[in-house]
Amino acid sequence: MLSELSSLINSKVPNAKAEVINPEEGSLGEGSILVAPESIYAVCEFLKTNDKYSFNALQVISGVDYLECIEVNYMLGNFDVNNPRQLILKTKLTDRVNPRLDSVCGLWHAANYQERECYDMLGVTFNNHPDHRRILCPDDWEGFPLRKDYMTQKYYRDMEVFPDDKMNYEEREFIVRQKQMEEDLKKRMLERGM
Amino acid sequence: MQTWDLGIEELKEKNSGENNLKTELLTVNMGPQHPATHGVLRVEIKTDSEVVAKAIPHLGYLHRCMEKHSENLDYRGVIPFVDRLDYLASMSQEYSYVAAVEKMLGTEVPRRAQLLRMLILELQRIASHLMAFGTYALDLGAFSPFLYAFDEREKILRFFEEISGARLLYNYIWIGGVWNDITDKHVETLKEFLDNFEKELVKYDNLVSGNKIFLERVINVGNLSLEDAISYGATGPVLRGSGYAWDLRKVDPYLCYNEVEFDVPVATGERGSVVGDCYSRYIVRMKEMEESVKICRQVLDKLEDGPVMGKVSKVIKPAKGEVFVRTECPRGELGVHLVSDGTKKPYRVKIKSPCFTHVSILPHFAPGQMIADFVASIGSIDIVLGEVDR
Repeated sequence: MLSELSSLINSKVPNAKAEVINPEEGSLGEGSILVAPESIYAVCEFLKTNDKYSFNALQVISGVDYLECIEVNYMLGNFDVNNPRQLILKTKLTDRVNPRLDSVCGLWHAANYQERECYDMLGVTFNNHPDHRRILCPDDWEGFPLRKDYMTQKYYRDMEVFPDDKMNYEEREFIVRQKQMEEDLKKRMLERGM
Repeated sequence: MQTWDLGIEELKEKNSGENNLKTELLTVNMGPQHPATHGVLRVEIKTDSEVVAKAIPHLGYLHRCMEKHSENLDYRGVIPFVDRLDYLASMSQEYSYVAAVEKMLGTEVPRRAQLLRMLILELQRIASHLMAFGTYALDLGAFSPFLYAFDEREKILRFFEEISGARLLYNYIWIGGVWNDITDKHVETLKEFLDNFEKELVKYDNLVSGNKIFLERVINVGNLSLEDAISYGATGPVLRGSGYAWDLRKVDPYLCYNEVEFDVPVATGERGSVVGDCYSRYIVRMKEMEESVKICRQVLDKLEDGPVMGKVSKVIKPAKGEVFVRTECPRGELGVHLVSDGTKKPYRVKIKSPCFTHVSILPHFAPGQMIADFVASIGSIDIVLGEVDR
């Protein structure tokens, strides 16, 4: 189904560059389809409206940070008892400073909250989103927590985030790693003479 | 005629013209501490007198960074964290996560463990729906159903406590099976409970489902058409309440669900209700409990002796790759997107929570509803904020 679907996408959406990603030898999971980030709205529109392989529901948008790129997974589903289908549609954003995608809110209502969460956690901005705000973190929170190079801010509204006297550093790998990252940063700054 | 008899449009008409009173929308914060929002949900409501014009949910008051924490734990260590997502249906959450890991590892689960899991999941569904039923009646002003519901729920929790040692957050379903077996005595008590529970269900039906005052509050309130429900990605009782028989246990069976007989209850518009209103979602839950009783009985008959733990290596290290697994939880479909980078810690755990999806429907319900009806709408989708905020 995947190869047929990807060639269909390529024929209907010219700049989609759709390709099937099968799990490599020795790794696991189902196959998925990778498309170019610029064409995401057109591809989604095609997937929703075509007759043969229609997907009437967007289940979840799941972003994964791979450091060299941010991968956004659209889990599409066809809620039809006679013909249930599932598809993982992937797109890769290489720009980590200002990753941008087109919003698919116009196609599925579900996209609204899912895209907000993706922005909140991974910092992917969605163009034409009707209500582009953070959703789980406070509005004035800094940084995007689920990025792998995330550093917690020192102070939030004059409150110390990880107060030294309350942390058990030995048992918290995450905080130890944060400390290391901070020291590395300081070292690098010193080396550059800043 | 008094002013409170007038509708909004008439009131505006009366106030315009010569009187020319200035009217504006009033912003009211419902929550974060509000008995009708089932946890710490804040809904910012713009009201025009008693009528809601707009509702904006504000989430995140219970955000515990579960997804970030999971990246720093080993695969087994995540299970207690998953428990705390939906604290009213912990077993179902555990199973979803464990199913994802087992799919990655290709673990074979012994038959007895599979049947036990099924039994536990259905009992958990009953417990969760009882809570939904009780608190929904409480929202609408009926106090006693809550106590009846808790009485029965208590029996299930006591059973869970006996087998797992905890009442709410179990850590019972492990990778490869379940960690404790049940005894013949448990089977007997369960059978007794199931017989008794069917009578209780009839009682609930007489007490609430057919109650005139209750019906007036829920019929034709908070309508959600099937088209909208699918577009919002609604699943579980919300989707079935909109009249569509979509149930993963039938559509994409896992465990031994293909071996048992049960129906998928769908709202049909009985008792003068409209398909997709609050009453439909409520009655689907009540009927689901009957089906769960059926499944439990069949599973108890099928139970055979055997091990409850499969063979799993001490250090869990799946190969590189990713899986997306979804299961039918009491509140809807819970999906787990698990990415592994070949180490002993998960690279990414993304939980697709049904409640998060359902909260996004609230702004759709709101326009034109009375505030009290909006409370009824919130109750009917049965959200747990632990799962919304993760």
